[in-house]
Amino acid sequence: MRKVLSSVFSALLLLMVILTGCSNDTKETASVEDKKVNSYPARQIELVVPFAAGGGVDLAARAVGEYLSKEWGQPVVVTNKPGGGGIIGAQYALKEAKADGYTVLVNNNSTSTMYEAGNSNPTLTAKDNKFVSRIAEGTLAYAVKSDSQFNSFKELSDWVKKNPEKLTWASVGPAGFSAFGVAEWLDSIGVDYKKTSMVSSEGSSDSAAKVAGGHVVLAVHTVGELYSLAESGKIKILAVQSAKRSPLFPEVPTVEEEGFKGLTVKWWTGLSFAKGTPDEIIKKWDSTIAKMEKDEQFVKELEKVKLQPSYLNAEEFTKAVNKEKDSFTKLAEKTGIRK
Amino acid sequence: MESIMYLLHGFSEVLTPFNLLIVVMGSLLGTLVGVLPGLGPTSAIAILLPLTTILEPAQGIMMMAGIYYGSMYGGSTTAILMNIPGEASSVPTTLDGYPLAKMGRAGAALGVAAIGSFIAGIIGLIGLVLFAPILADQALKFGPPEYFTLMLIALFILFNLTGFSLVKSIIMGLFGFLISLVGIGISSGMPRFDFGVDAINGGFEMISVIIGLFAITEVLKGLEEKRVSINHQRIKNAYPNKEDMKKSFSPILRGSLLGFFLGILPGVSATITSFLSYDLERKVSKSPEKFGNGAIEGVAGPESANNATSSGGFIPLLALGIPASPPLAILLAALMIYGLTPGPVLFEQNSQLVWTVIASMFIGNIILLILNLPLIGLWAKLTEVPFGILGPVILMVSVIGAYTVRNSMFDVVVAITFGIFGYLFHKFQWPLIPFVLCLVLGPKMESSFIQSLEISSGNVLIFFQRPISLTLLLLAGFLMIISIMLMKRTKKRIIQETGEQMEFS
Repeated sequence: MRKVLSSVFSALLLLMVILTGCSNDTKETASVEDKKVNSYPARQIELVVPFAAGGGVDLAARAVGEYLSKEWGQPVVVTNKPGGGGIIGAQYALKEAKADGYTVLVNNNSTSTMYEAGNSNPTLTAKDNKFVSRIAEGTLAYAVKSDSQFNSFKELSDWVKKNPEKLTWASVGPAGFSAFGVAEWLDSIGVDYKKTSMVSSEGSSDSAAKVAGGHVVLAVHTVGELYSLAESGKIKILAVQSAKRSPLFPEVPTVEEEGFKGLTVKWWTGLSFAKGTPDEIIKKWDSTIAKMEKDEQFVKELEKVKLQPSYLNAEEFTKAVNKEKDSFTKLAEKTGIRK
Repeated sequence: MESIMYLLHGFSEVLTPFNLLIVVMGSLLGTLVGVLPGLGPTSAIAILLPLTTILEPAQGIMMMAGIYYGSMYGGSTTAILMNIPGEASSVPTTLDGYPLAKMGRAGAALGVAAIGSFIAGIIGLIGLVLFAPILADQALKFGPPEYFTLMLIALFILFNLTGFSLVKSIIMGLFGFLISLVGIGISSGMPRFDFGVDAINGGFEMISVIIGLFAITEVLKGLEEKRVSINHQRIKNAYPNKEDMKKSFSPILRGSLLGFFLGILPGVSATITSFLSYDLERKVSKSPEKFGNGAIEGVAGPESANNATSSGGFIPLLALGIPASPPLAILLAALMIYGLTPGPVLFEQNSQLVWTVIASMFIGNIILLILNLPLIGLWAKLTEVPFGILGPVILMVSVIGAYTVRNSMFDVVVAITFGIFGYLFHKFQWPLIPFVLCLVLGPKMESSFIQSLEISSGNVLIFFQRPISLTLLLLAGFLMIISIMLMKRTKKRIIQETGEQMEFS
């Protein structure tokens, strides 16, 4: 009997060792060998996603990781470090980890431009990032309850002009993606942002549920996030904020078609490194990502998670981020989002 | 009808070799941890959750669910063979299970417990398939005020049901609430209670706290008690005979239905339903004097009731995102780690995943029955594992688990700290359950409350003005009275049967 017992136990221990062995990042001390940039990558690379698994940033990161693992023959693993609106993970990747190119931040508006615009003394700024390339973007969409009185984005805007205090909209925090989308739209139609009420939400599915149940008037999220509830007829999408109509909802007009110009807020995700990372590594990444964005398999993966590829190289990406940051900061100061 | 189609599709998803392996592993691990003395479903899920995070969401959740009902099955083994209830819900099983084992009929008792658990599990799952989509459809009508009042009910009932004084429960609940508030505030986006320390900025990870309170505490308790392994009763044959089955048939059905329908109500735990079922069986029995001296009906009823309750609890969990008991609270956390938000939208956004998991529960129950009947001898052997082996293993897995959730060393420190806290709570008789539930529901309650006031522009009357919310509040008052009565009864029964206060789970 002892034999049975000990074998059961050794099997269990072995299982644990195996499971934990393949579940985690190894923080080896970078030896001198690793410092040689030309042999990069020499070991496992960690893609840090500062949000929970299953969200847009996470899904995009997994597609990137899969492609790069094949391309470079080194494991590229996604590590989720959620919390603090994405700032915890971003701090880890940009400030706590070694700047040796083996820890990469999968960035997004909320951890960069929106966070910086919304806070008067942010712990992280665009200057802490070395932006590599933009990967994908998501189109912002305006959704209301399916049987609501509004049948077009214009009708909704007219109603808001008359009754700003009746407008409730859901957002993940006061400096979240939805908040900037709503602020820009209200600003363009001359409505005082402070008169409307933000209702805090825990994420896109929470916002969508609140709109579908008639508890909140408006949800502003990416088309992909609103897709399933719109598909089942519980909410309707009034307009999408992009140059062309969304392939997911060809019958929904763009905001431009509805007569609104200059609405720019959109969701994006891209990669950035800590400040001291060698330039050669960044170049290597940028050229590989440029190749990746043309890869059919990768584009399919993005389509599955309802995002569009939108590659920008390091220089243009940095410019785009800084431009977005400046316009968001102005917006945040005007509306009182900035604290 | 649509749900049946989804379910059938779910079956085809589960029946791939890899998925089947996952379900078998989950059930095995669950049974294993359930059998080990001192570890119940809550600690089983908390410790093993991090190990599943390397899997895809569907597989991870299947495995977690397997661990959950597997550990429910496993709990009856120690109760029958050694007279040690792994948690309060197994107390009624010991009353007749252990006498049966002393008579040399342990096999029959274990067999009936397994078959009863299986039938109850299936009945509960059928109820889940029928009711969950309906409730999810209605759940959209639940806005922040309704959620807030619903959680208020659940907490109130639970506070009252912990087996300790209401005052102690409320103090512990508030403490849990306080811990849950640490981190970035939901509506302000500002860090709270971080005392300028960056590590605390992200708040305390619920899983690490629970691993500390349940698993590490268990190790500390074991160290103190110098646990010796208790010899269990021999098992002669592992199958109940025809006579036993005939006697057990009605109790199993009654226990299942009672456990399921009461289990849907927020705040009614498996402990209550298993005691109710035991007392019901004694009332309807033609020979009540047999109870306590080895009546097989006294094993069949309660074992069925507590398994049906655990399936019933999945309905509010999946449809509303509200856990009825601590193990379900951890399952909720697991779903969130996988990026799924339980609630009305879950069935819309991830319907296939949900139905695949439900289908896996049917298969898992069948696997457990197959595992449990022939292997009962082996499971019984496991109860003899000396603490010198068990303690370090639990500690190791706990530390690894606490680290893996967010890949942070800070969380390990948190787990160990709460392990020490848990030990002190145990020593000075403070209830853990209110603490855990407030820790889990705290952020949800806070956000529902704040959202309600954001919708009503700061008017507190919103909770009374909305019809559903008002109904819930009235119901809360009514349930409160009933639960106080039920509670008095169950408390008295536990003291009668074990001679000590015991915390419900």
